[in-house]
Amino acid sequence: MSTLLEVQGISVTFDGFRAINNLSFTIGQPEMRAVIGPNGAGKTTFMDIVTGKTRPDEGSVRWGEMGHSLLSMSEAQIAQAGVGRKFQRPTVFEDQTVWDNLRIALKKPRGPFSSLLDRVSAEDRTRIDEIATEIGLAHHLQRQAGVLSHGQKQWLEIGMLLAQDPRLLLVDEPAAGMTTEERNHTTDLLKRLARNHAVVVVEHDMEFVRRLDCKVTVLHEGSVLAEGTLDHVMADERVIEVYLGR
Amino acid sequence: MEGKSIFTRNRSVPIFIGLLALFTLGVTILSEGYGTGALSVSFTKVLGMTLCLCLAALAMDLVWGYCGILSLGHFAFFGLGGYMIGMWLMTARTEAVVRANLAGNVIPPTEAEVSTATALQIFSVVGAEDWPWMWAVSDSLVLSLLLVVLIPGLLALVFGWLAFRSRVTGVYLSILTQAMTLALSLYLFQNDTGLRGNNGLSGLQNIPGAEGIGQDRISIWFFWASALALGIAYIGAAWVVSGKFGNIVRAIRDDEQRVRFLGYRVEGYKLFVFTLTAVICGIAGALYYPQAGIINPDEIAPIASIYLAVWVAIGGRGRLYGAVIGAAVVSLLSTYFTGGRAPDIDLGIYTIEWVDWWPVLLGLGFVLVTLFAPKGLGGLVDLIVRKDKA
Ligand SMILES: Nc1ncnc2c1ncn2[C@@H]1O[C@H](COP(=O)(O)OP(=O)(O)OP(=O)(O)O)[C@@H](O)[C@H]1O
Ligand SMILES: [Mg+2]
Repeated sequence: MSTLLEVQGISVTFDGFRAINNLSFTIGQPEMRAVIGPNGAGKTTFMDIVTGKTRPDEGSVRWGEMGHSLLSMSEAQIAQAGVGRKFQRPTVFEDQTVWDNLRIALKKPRGPFSSLLDRVSAEDRTRIDEIATEIGLAHHLQRQAGVLSHGQKQWLEIGMLLAQDPRLLLVDEPAAGMTTEERNHTTDLLKRLARNHAVVVVEHDMEFVRRLDCKVTVLHEGSVLAEGTLDHVMADERVIEVYLGR
Repeated sequence: MEGKSIFTRNRSVPIFIGLLALFTLGVTILSEGYGTGALSVSFTKVLGMTLCLCLAALAMDLVWGYCGILSLGHFAFFGLGGYMIGMWLMTARTEAVVRANLAGNVIPPTEAEVSTATALQIFSVVGAEDWPWMWAVSDSLVLSLLLVVLIPGLLALVFGWLAFRSRVTGVYLSILTQAMTLALSLYLFQNDTGLRGNNGLSGLQNIPGAEGIGQDRISIWFFWASALALGIAYIGAAWVVSGKFGNIVRAIRDDEQRVRFLGYRVEGYKLFVFTLTAVICGIAGALYYPQAGIINPDEIAPIASIYLAVWVAIGGRGRLYGAVIGAAVVSLLSTYFTGGRAPDIDLGIYTIEWVDWWPVLLGLGFVLVTLFAPKGLGGLVDLIVRKDKA
């Protein structure tokens, strides 16, 4: 397992409020990591920094074998480098069909001219069908994404993430709005992906995290409070205090 | 549905092209130049010009309705296209007149003398007598046609690059495009900028090389050219928005940040659409002003670009034919009410003069459409079509 992402000593301040405080984090490929922490701990902000949405005040974010800095790259460049993200609030293109949503996510050249001349190959079609089956939307391909249920939108966004075929998947609260069955399906899917990808999952649901069966990082007030197996961190006094104290 | 031609993929394309062809045929049959003469030359010109405005509205729908960039500057590109072709028309026409005048001389004039006399003729109105630098290629039709495409295209490219790179969006971008338009029209109003200040360019209806041919025929030629341009642009626009490019552009309209996280450089896409539509507007303007006969900086006034957006809003965004319907209906009504065709209404104590009241009527219409038909006039077409299917 080689290091894929190395975040070191990053801090972010919003109007004087320190959302991320000297945070360091490393993940390899392949690896699965769960990130937990109370509301406002900075989990989403951490993903914002890695994907280029928010620029940290200090610290470094290094990527890949060459250790390129992600901080000098645009959101699009970071995504092209292989960082994919599923947002906490499902964000799909509601005005377009499920099929179209998957199509634009599909890993292909991203320039305007390539898009203009893009033809759907048999390969693309197969891939979209595979993904649609995986996310349970095979019979909804021609529906507008806007009319899907909350859970289905979650799945569609996961599908878009799969279509992108990134090296690192940042998955923010995937289980919200899902049935127990769907949650189990999601954990299975994520575990399968983690065999050859780097996967970071933020989730509040402890059962879900337990099923992921991976190393857990606990965030609190913008920095790492504890790290280790789920049982290990849940036995940590400071973690107990943080979770009981909220 | 993929892989088929655009005619079967977008049902509005064959219908639109069919109607446009029928309309063109009808106008030709009724024209003075080639038909019964039921349509006057001036009305034929109005119809041809309307097609050019529809073409500009089509471009506006691409950039605003599909890509979400509310540009309030696209009529400036339209005007620039007009100026570019206008320089050639005016040069060639004036030169012909000058040659005819000098033909009576005992000693035949040299080329330099013709050129000097032509420049004097064109620029004496602003107190100048030399060719300004921007008229450098005005004696070449090919180069002037190239400028029709290049100048609006380059201006859009530079402006768009600066604006999109700094991520100026929404109302700020609209204001910026208005500022660009205002600056351009103020610049053109100056007498010493080389484009004859507020006199503008005139006599553009006189087509060099067609001196013996009456306006009855020329008006129909331009009508045909305008219809052809609109038809081609419609097919092209439908093609551009039908594939993956169209999906991405609409995605940018709805949530551009999300598109970035998929790895697309949003700025590149916006710049592409902004520049492409500016070029379309330039071409539309180059077809419009020879029919109008005159262009002056007033045409580029910021309000003109706002009207363009109003047409598209009334016609309905994001459906191509909506923009065409909106532009045709509103601009024809505007010609009717402000061109002295609508009879004033005498109420005894007050006379409704339509020239003054037309903007009020337009504003009212805009509000009514927004309230009762948010999808615009084009949305009403959908209702009819959907009923058909049921
Ligand atoms: N753009 C912003 N401007 C101002 N404050 C922000 C911004 N983004 C995040 N914050 C603040 O930073 C803190 C961390 O937020 P973040 O969304 O990262 O928490 P989280 O761990 O994802 O919480 P949750 O579990 O509720 O999703 C919060 O207090 C939030 O209000
Ligand atoms: Mg969060």
